[in-house]
Amino acid sequence: MPVRALKTVIKLEGHADAEAAETVLTWLRQHPAGVVDLSRCEGMHTALLQTLLALRPTLRGQPSEPGLAALLGPNQEIT
Amino acid sequence: MNTSEVLDQFILEARDCLDAVGQRLLDIERNPQDTTLLNDLFRTVHTLKGNCGLFEFTALERVVHAGEDLLEQVRSGQVQYSGEIADALLAAMDLSGELIDAIATHGQLGPAHDAPALAAASALRRLIPAGPGAAAASAASAALPATASALPDWVQALPGSWQAPGLCLIRYQPEPTCFFKGEDPLALARQTPGLRRLRLLTPADWGRPESFDCYDCRLGFLILSDADDAALDHHFRYVPEQCDRFRPPRPAGVDAAARPPGDETPSDPAPAALARLRRRQQQLWTEQLSLLERHPGGSSSAQAARQVLDRLLAGLEPWLPAPERTAVAAQRAALAALPLSGSAVIDWARQAADSALTATPVDGPTPATSTSSATAGRPADRDPHADDDSSTGAERQGARSLRVAQDKIDRLVDLIGEMVVAKNALPYLAQRAEQHFGQRELAREIKNQYAVINRIAEDMQHAIMQVRMMPVGTVFQRFGRLVRDLSRRLGKEVELRVEGEDTEADKNVIESLADPLIHVLRNSLDHGLETPAVRIAAGKPATGCLQVRARQEGDRVLLDIEDDGAGIDPDRVRRKAVERGLIPADRAHALSDADAVQLVFLPGFSTAEQVSDLSGRGVGLDVVRAAVERVNGSVSLRSQRGRGTQIQLSLPLSMAITHVMMIRAGGCRFGVPMDLVLETVRVAADEIHHFKQAMTTVLRGRIVPLRALHSLLALEEEPRRNAEGEHAVLVLRLGQEAIGLIVDEFEGTNDIILRPLEGVLGGLRGFAGSALMGDGSVLMVLNPKEML
Repeated sequence: MPVRALKTVIKLEGHADAEAAETVLTWLRQHPAGVVDLSRCEGMHTALLQTLLALRPTLRGQPSEPGLAALLGPNQEIT
Repeated sequence: MNTSEVLDQFILEARDCLDAVGQRLLDIERNPQDTTLLNDLFRTVHTLKGNCGLFEFTALERVVHAGEDLLEQVRSGQVQYSGEIADALLAAMDLSGELIDAIATHGQLGPAHDAPALAAASALRRLIPAGPGAAAASAASAALPATASALPDWVQALPGSWQAPGLCLIRYQPEPTCFFKGEDPLALARQTPGLRRLRLLTPADWGRPESFDCYDCRLGFLILSDADDAALDHHFRYVPEQCDRFRPPRPAGVDAAARPPGDETPSDPAPAALARLRRRQQQLWTEQLSLLERHPGGSSSAQAARQVLDRLLAGLEPWLPAPERTAVAAQRAALAALPLSGSAVIDWARQAADSALTATPVDGPTPATSTSSATAGRPADRDPHADDDSSTGAERQGARSLRVAQDKIDRLVDLIGEMVVAKNALPYLAQRAEQHFGQRELAREIKNQYAVINRIAEDMQHAIMQVRMMPVGTVFQRFGRLVRDLSRRLGKEVELRVEGEDTEADKNVIESLADPLIHVLRNSLDHGLETPAVRIAAGKPATGCLQVRARQEGDRVLLDIEDDGAGIDPDRVRRKAVERGLIPADRAHALSDADAVQLVFLPGFSTAEQVSDLSGRGVGLDVVRAAVERVNGSVSLRSQRGRGTQIQLSLPLSMAITHVMMIRAGGCRFGVPMDLVLETVRVAADEIHHFKQAMTTVLRGRIVPLRALHSLLALEEEPRRNAEGEHAVLVLRLGQEAIGLIVDEFEGTNDIILRPLEGVLGGLRGFAGSALMGDGSVLMVLNPKEML
């Protein structure tokens, strides 16, 4: 399961596909102060990436894949 | 719709197109001014390109596209047709043939094919002069636009670090609904070949969380890559219109090969180019519709069609003035909203054709316009839901013919053959009914019924043999190319004249003809015809003439191959034959010139001074003769020194029923083809003269050598004699001579269907084949020529 929703945290694990975007979006709408845990995230679909960029929830942990981490960073860039 | 069926059809049609193209190219070389030939050629290449595009065989499409562009230039008179152009096109078609073979074997093209395809396409495009009228690439091409001169706005706004010479800058803005097409733009962007830098392009305002739609893609990507345009084209091939590319110009002096020819350059196309683009678009639109109408079932074909139509609209969009652009954008939206069914797309496309593609009105639903080829034509009232028949049936517009796989015909031949044999059991049955069971009435009825079945079976036999008849022209087709290439390679000028291509013969005969004929032609080209200089010195016209004629005579097909070359020198032939120990010197001198020339048929013969790789050692005329005789044919040769050589092949029209004489020897039954049998005779033992190992006898004042079949076949028994002490001798005709075959007994004649031996027995010498008899037994049929 790529997405595990808990009370205050939603955790992404492995590769999050397009459907995960909807799950995360719904959860974030219901938990505006919720935290997204990326420490076990290895990859994500574009839809999920843009959801995170649009809603700017608090993120916990870094995805293991450095490119993804960079894209979520301040520069939104991989060099 | 079965994908593999469509693919098979594509391969068939592509091969047909290539054949047609090859033929046309040769025709055009002879008549460069004939515009109908040029148009025909262009149409065929155009069709081929369209078909390739449907399957996304990009490498193949690239080559064909380049060919089409070149031909367009020739057709419009901007480039003069020349031998160089012909060579480039032929080479491109050869490569296309290889690519199609690869597709046939593997179902797709691999990356290994990209480089040669690119090379061939570049070679073709190099022959296109760059000029103000150079056509813009068609809307369906995979090439992405790259402006050469001024910096586009979006590039200017970037910091300088994004512009590096030698690197390509790409702005990839996926369309908002791309997720619903299953795309993942982030993945695509990150997998860009040669990726150096990737930045996300986000909208200024994402909007409120409550109204955010995660499946409305608003993310863009800025990519810097060191890959070449071809690789980038390929990577972004599904979304070319969503990418803007910019490659900073290199400093002057560096070669411009960084950008492959074929990219669109004009940012402001001349009206002529725009008109041409529109025309091309209409052609593609119509063709796409026709293709879809042929295979309407299934969402995948609808999807593919929708994609193509969308690209057609999108391709034209950037060049249109603003008001038209919005109309086209609306069209694209409507297209995207269509349900995925063939009929929906077809209906929408027909009514959209008139409005979307302005300029010349287009006949949406009606069949082939003058520019589309046979594959596109369909009757207007054809029901798009009508089931297309078996994968192998394809109705060509006009001619009422079917295309059938050869193995289906072979199966029919076998079945009918079995029927012919099976019916022969009925007379036996009738006889048994009468004699063994005393049922005379029944016997008579069986015989009556047999007569009916017999007639029908024989008609069927005859009919299927007719089906197997093919025009000789199918073999002749290769000649044009062969003669052209060979004569150029050898530096000779040769005109090939072909007559009687429509003469028909059995498929097996035709197929076994191909190699011998090609060899004979090569001989003429290599050894017979002289170079122009030699010919002129001999008072002949510089261009040599090679004539191939086919005609039917009775139940045979005659093929004449004549050249007006140097002919065969009898003295040289005599010398060589003696040198190689093929014939004793005194016999060689005793031969007349006409007979000496026939020595070329001896195995191991070759008079070429220099064994060329074409027709020198190893494959002599003896092989030609053997191949022809294997199908019951014969070869004869005549030659006049200094004037030329004439070779004639005589072949049976059909390989249907063989009459055989049945004989017994050593307890086994064999068949001997009747056309070799001169007579059957009984020879008393004391009329046989023994001389060392040989036996002879005298028949009608002629000495006839005798051979016992038993010893030839290494049978264990000795030839038997009948009650009067006589041997049964079958006198056979071998060439000009007669020879007697000693057997045990004659057993009458029979009609059989001779099947050549196959598989492990195929190499067995001495047997012409086997046949299945009415009582289920197998008859081995002898080939006396091979045995003796």
